[in-house]
Amino acid sequence: MRRARPALRAHPAGPAPHPAGPSPRAHPALRTQPALRALHAEWTKLRTLPSSWLLLAATVVLTFAVGTAAVSSVSTRECVSAAACHEDTVKLALTGVWLGQATVLVLGALSMGAEYGTGTVRTTLTAIPRRATVLASKAAVLAAATGIAAGTAVLVSLATARWILPGNGFTPEAGYPLLSLTDAPTLRAAFGSTLCLILIAFLGLGLAVLLRDSAAAITTGLGVLYVVPLMSDLLGSPTWKDRLERWAPIPAGLAIRATKDLARLPIGPWPGLGVLAAYALGVLLVGGAIFARRDA
Amino acid sequence: MTSTFTPYRSPLKPAREGFGRLLRAEWSKFWTVRVWVLALAVAAAVTVAISQLAASGSVDDSNEHPLTVGPDGTRVNDSFHYVHQSLPAESAVTVRVSDLKGGGGRDPEPWAKAGVLVKASTKAGSPYAALMLTPDHGVRLQWNFTHDKAGSAASGTAAHWLRMTRSGTRLTGYESSDGAHWTKVGSVTLPELPNTAQAGLFVASPLHNNLRRSFGGTSETAGSATAGATFDHLAVSGATATGSAAWTSTDVGAPDPNDPDTPQSGPARVEPGTTTVSATGVYTLTGQGDIAPDETGADIVQMSFQGVFVAVLFMVALGTLFITTEYKRGMIRTTFTATPRRVRVLIAKALVIGGVTFAVSLPATAITFLLAQRTMRSNGFAPPAYPDLSLLDSPALRAVVGSAALLSLVAVLALALGAILRNSAGAITAVVVLVILPQILAFALPLPVGHWLLSATPAAAFAVQQGRTYYPQVQHSCLPESGCYPMAPWNGFAVLCAYAAVALALAAWRLRRRDV
Repeated sequence: MRRARPALRAHPAGPAPHPAGPSPRAHPALRTQPALRALHAEWTKLRTLPSSWLLLAATVVLTFAVGTAAVSSVSTRECVSAAACHEDTVKLALTGVWLGQATVLVLGALSMGAEYGTGTVRTTLTAIPRRATVLASKAAVLAAATGIAAGTAVLVSLATARWILPGNGFTPEAGYPLLSLTDAPTLRAAFGSTLCLILIAFLGLGLAVLLRDSAAAITTGLGVLYVVPLMSDLLGSPTWKDRLERWAPIPAGLAIRATKDLARLPIGPWPGLGVLAAYALGVLLVGGAIFARRDA
Repeated sequence: MTSTFTPYRSPLKPAREGFGRLLRAEWSKFWTVRVWVLALAVAAAVTVAISQLAASGSVDDSNEHPLTVGPDGTRVNDSFHYVHQSLPAESAVTVRVSDLKGGGGRDPEPWAKAGVLVKASTKAGSPYAALMLTPDHGVRLQWNFTHDKAGSAASGTAAHWLRMTRSGTRLTGYESSDGAHWTKVGSVTLPELPNTAQAGLFVASPLHNNLRRSFGGTSETAGSATAGATFDHLAVSGATATGSAAWTSTDVGAPDPNDPDTPQSGPARVEPGTTTVSATGVYTLTGQGDIAPDETGADIVQMSFQGVFVAVLFMVALGTLFITTEYKRGMIRTTFTATPRRVRVLIAKALVIGGVTFAVSLPATAITFLLAQRTMRSNGFAPPAYPDLSLLDSPALRAVVGSAALLSLVAVLALALGAILRNSAGAITAVVVLVILPQILAFALPLPVGHWLLSATPAAAFAVQQGRTYYPQVQHSCLPESGCYPMAPWNGFAVLCAYAAVALALAAWRLRRRDV
């Protein structure tokens, strides 16, 4: 390996001598720690795909844009008084999560689906035969990338809402306190929405591992994210409506954004996120178990 | 270095590039992929199954409550304060109406009514014709609940003259601002009108609706509202009795006070109307209620098609993959070598995917509708509260064919986006988000934004599933969660057509301009 170094310098475009190993310039820890090596490999795969950056940027921009549009469309006119106002401005500012969840789902699904689509999965598994390590490092890298993008999106949405809302009548003088992360429910909504988006990325990853196809994984995932909640809104049967709102991953998981009238929610914020987590991690675990036993 | 050369040209005549062959080639590409055919079958089965499940969970008890039905079988509201007497076949009522106002110091409801009304009997739901003043909609001639004809724009604040003449079953309304110069508003024939009908003055005011933002959506609460008006210069020709003693006051359609369902307090409590007569023959009436079609019932046509939302997913995936798989596998190069005219390939693909999805969706939506109707009928959605619809009734037929066409157009839109983006993930996500997400957001956002979303995005097309008629003479706020779409059925569908057409045009332009 040391002898290969001058050759590499001479032909920077040439293939690396040990494609499975870390690059010679990498940190020494990468050469000794297989888990770190796997993480590094996954990070390289994510980093070098333009689609990843596009999706992460889209998550921030779309979440922010929809949230801001929602916040600017509301005013205190529908409220009789500040005390009797049921407008949940935090939840409204986080309306964009409805759209951001699509991009993080696609990011999660493509992180595995693209490997199956192009056959890279065979190279990956030759380099790191321990499949649990592959999947765990994929999930870790995905969680970090999604977490940063989603966290940014959520914070930017809330900051813009704090700036816009007083102009629409939600002023402290009129009895509507400014949005602030020092307020415990707001902090919970912000942190929880970020977690929610990470879980949805896991759902995408899990579905792609299970189905071994991006298109199928994305279609299924979008069904869970959009069609199920739409049906729970429109169903004429109160029993089924209630069941879906409590036990389907998406209306339940998004309950984390609520900061007002919590007693009237079909499911509480943290239990709701728990339902989403159970589905997302469940799919990921089942996918992982099958991944470990199945041919690539 | 600069030498020109003539590329090799085959001396053979090129094979005939008929469009029929192209269609056949694309059809073969579709049906030979077993997963796609399977997906199409599953989509049809899922549409029927989910709709059936949703229908079986919906229950309605309207038929267990007293119900008013108009002469044509429509569910109606028919309650108002009526000062009336018997009127023979040849007669006329003339009156001057003024001071139309709301009760309790509030503004009157936009569709509050005061005027002259001729009715077969004082039984709620019986045939009638009324000439009235309204605060916001001018002079109207309305009859048998569903019909409405506009007169002048008089608002009821200034005194206005109204006259209704009767000649057998024919009723004619006239209006005048001074009592001397009369303009005809319209005439109506009510075949069911008996020889001796009731005629007189009436006042009614529809419920006052409050829109409130709460619990992450917009909700509507309704409370009774009162209207009052002053009538003078009352003249009846052809009547047998004259003077104020000839008149009777009735609250038509008033709820039975002994019925436990009648609210005794709160905003929904109905107050009886009042009549005061001055010595000079000035009548002052107040009243509550409305004479109009009742739009509060569920839309049983729309409720039959819940499974279509799930089928949309399958259609999006099929439409997208029909072209992106070719890009992914490199098949597109073979396709374009065989048919260099790329736009024709796109058209053939659109026709095949659109045709196949329509052909499978149509029987699925028809079966869906029939099964769901049967289930819902046994769950209480039955006559007289709800119409007994057959597949060929116009709202039902429109919804069945419209839903199938919607699914096939969604597939075409997905195909076009697939051709533009050349990427399944992007195209599938974009179409699902465009078609489904606006409806979810419409529930959560303020009403004007919700309405905008449901008219400017392809989601507007779901309006084609609406079976309910929204009458212009009834104030309604069209809440998305009650299944109301702001656009008329076919107009909403046209929005999706426009999206598909623009996407196809863009795809054609890009296919021609870009290398494969």
